[in-house]
Amino acid sequence: MKKILKPSDMAKPSDCLCHIEPGDLSPLPPPYEDFNQTTIPPLKPDRVKNIETSLDDTVAIGIPKPATKEAEEELVRQFLSGLKKLFEKENNWTFLQPLMLSMEHCAKCQTCSDACPVYEMSGRKDIYRPMFRAEVLRWINNKYLKPGGKITAKLTGDIDLNWTTIARLAELAYRCTLCRRCATVCPIGVDNGLITHEIRKLFSQEMGIAPKEIHEKGTVQHLKVGSTTGMNSLAAKDSVDFIEEEMEEITGYKVSIPWDVEGADILLLHNAGEIIAWPENVGAFAIIFQAAGLSWTMSSEAVGYDAVNYGLWYDDVQFSRVAVKHADIARRLKVKKIVMGECGHAHKALTVIADRLLTGGINIPRESAMVTLEDIVMSGKLKFEPQKNNFPVTLHDPCNYVRLMGIVEPQRRILRKIAPGFREMTPHGVDNYCCGGGSGFAIMSGYNFAEWRTLVSSRKKFLQILNAFKDEPLDVPKYVCAPCSNCKGAIRDIINHYQAEERSNLHYGGLVELIVNAMVGMKKPIINFGDEPSWK
Amino acid sequence: MGFYVLSYLCIVVFIVAAAHLVYRQLTLPVHVRWEIYPVQHETTDKLSHGGSYMEDLNWWEKKHKSSLLNEAKYMIPEILLIRGLWKENKSLWRVSFPFHFGLYLMIAAFFLLVLNGLVILWGGSCLPPGGAARGLLNSLIVLTGWTGLILGTMGSVGMLCRRLADPELREFSSFADYFNIAFILLFFLFGFLTCLSGDPSLEGGKEYVFGLLTGGSSLNGYAPGQSFTSGVTIVLASLLAAYIPLTHMSHMFMKYFLYHDVKWDDAPNLPGGPTEAIILKNLALKPTWKAKHVEADGRKSWLDIASSAPKEIK
Repeated sequence: MKKILKPSDMAKPSDCLCHIEPGDLSPLPPPYEDFNQTTIPPLKPDRVKNIETSLDDTVAIGIPKPATKEAEEELVRQFLSGLKKLFEKENNWTFLQPLMLSMEHCAKCQTCSDACPVYEMSGRKDIYRPMFRAEVLRWINNKYLKPGGKITAKLTGDIDLNWTTIARLAELAYRCTLCRRCATVCPIGVDNGLITHEIRKLFSQEMGIAPKEIHEKGTVQHLKVGSTTGMNSLAAKDSVDFIEEEMEEITGYKVSIPWDVEGADILLLHNAGEIIAWPENVGAFAIIFQAAGLSWTMSSEAVGYDAVNYGLWYDDVQFSRVAVKHADIARRLKVKKIVMGECGHAHKALTVIADRLLTGGINIPRESAMVTLEDIVMSGKLKFEPQKNNFPVTLHDPCNYVRLMGIVEPQRRILRKIAPGFREMTPHGVDNYCCGGGSGFAIMSGYNFAEWRTLVSSRKKFLQILNAFKDEPLDVPKYVCAPCSNCKGAIRDIINHYQAEERSNLHYGGLVELIVNAMVGMKKPIINFGDEPSWK
Repeated sequence: MGFYVLSYLCIVVFIVAAAHLVYRQLTLPVHVRWEIYPVQHETTDKLSHGGSYMEDLNWWEKKHKSSLLNEAKYMIPEILLIRGLWKENKSLWRVSFPFHFGLYLMIAAFFLLVLNGLVILWGGSCLPPGGAARGLLNSLIVLTGWTGLILGTMGSVGMLCRRLADPELREFSSFADYFNIAFILLFFLFGFLTCLSGDPSLEGGKEYVFGLLTGGSSLNGYAPGQSFTSGVTIVLASLLAAYIPLTHMSHMFMKYFLYHDVKWDDAPNLPGGPTEAIILKNLALKPTWKAKHVEADGRKSWLDIASSAPKEIK
């Protein structure tokens, strides 16, 4: 019988607290059984000798090991100082009430565990239970910060606080995609995803500890260079010029992507990753908006051509800086509204979370592109030949704007109109499963984290996709519509890792590509299945 | 008189502790939105698929509609029947439902006993003894009391067994978790034994609550704690009332805030609307986070920090 790990085990020294053995992961169906004995490739000893690796088989942050006992003790002090600040309104007005409520009312019924794809797919490893890391934080808080805590800890949960506990907790905060599926099923309303978010904030805002992909190369680069991709304004404009040429070749008419048009109705914010990795997405938006006769613009100002806001995942201060920048650019362009492109976390960041941050002139209305596109598609301004999309299509629901914003039906109404082979995943809508790339995972690939993601956190999504197409012959091309940049990144990596293009003829892309693919008058299809055009 | 003093003290603790919990929630700063869909006060056309008002084109130009009826249709079964647990964790619901419903019925029985005491104090003029209404009140007391005690005893035994037998629950339970259930079980058990051993119509309860309302006056020569089981029941019930708001079991009423102030708090901050002033107050707070990139010094406000670029990116 397997030994159940408890929160107190986080403090006990060992090389690896939780290891995934061959065969532990949830099995995959044919023709993918050969992956069922696969495990996470071991970390390379020379690369990790100076960093903390004792949680599990992977590393997300790579925290340097403290050189001395004194340095360890100083880090423990910093942690406690940060923990205290999470409960102070001056430091954490942003999430104080939700945090207090979730910290104080968990009944430990474990209902959340079964809702978590990471826990389920990992072979039910205890450390991945949504309540596990929350419970570690509760126990530390009760014992070390509450009056009489050292005594009451014997009754409510006792944990030693040492550098091992803290280093493992920091890593464990990056084994949850913040999809908040656990919070939807909690009968009391406790949100363990929120507690994970707050743990990440504590480490970043007090101790300066965060994965470099989301801090140094993420928000810092975003604010410094203009984009998390490292692309400056000039490079962005050059790339978009190229996209215009590409689109002209496909559509047969000149597409012009407007930059910095003062007084336009719409400021369209794209995840700049689209410009580099999925230029057809940016082009398809331009075709649709131009064909529909919208008054719109993109911004070439630093930060303004990249909708992402990685601060959402780990740091309220960085989050606020990026959100204010986005909103201020819209103010200076005097647009009527900001439309968020196909990027889930950017949707939630600027539309919902920043809603109680922006005031006065920078409180510019924000709208999901799903809504704008639905209006265009249903208005009759564009003509479609849905049979051009006559291949099986399924829809992935990005957590950030479906479960966490309630944008559920517009994209479905579009698909029902333009994609006759559309079918739902099970479950879908607000009950969806995360792509496995949420909360920064899609862009984190240091050490062996990308392998952990495709094998563990994205596994449920892969099973859902296979299930959605289970009645289709393997050789028929299939399209996973994932209207979110991070989700697309995660799904791309799933398809590559499991060789799903070769084995199941599985492809992926956004929603706008499907719309343009079905438009009347296109010279060539915008969607291709490998070398094969989707229509001739 | 000692029983009454204990009960008064415990009631005071309950009121003060519960009021403190609620007051603290009401005085916390307005937080950023963190809702999760479905939001049950959405209009039916949206709620049917878990959608929000943000699905509408130019949603800020429209009047924000919400449905109290939809919220009630969700909340009433949630509160009374624990529908969320039924949907997500049926095996636990089988013990959790009788446990919680037993507690609800005991609360209902207590208020019926208070009503009975008030009727007696008013000389029975509104509900004369022997009348149908008085008969109904007595029957309701017996019904809620007995049903609550039976369900609660079964439910708390079930909860205790489940927590002990299921490794997933056992390994994550602390002494306090067992103590809480055992405490409630003892209360139900002694209440049940008291009724079973000679007080089937809850006369002792009626007399004790009348005494509570009158500062210890007795009816029919009643004195609290005439039997061992009734004395223990009074002590346990009093202590339980004081204990609940001091523990996570306060979710019984704090769930309101978890749902309404977080999960379903979708109120938009419209340009020029009242929320903007509240936000400005929050933005004036001065953080002291220590990480270098934050650049907080205790003098700069959130507004200063959010609208500036830190040194490392300049």
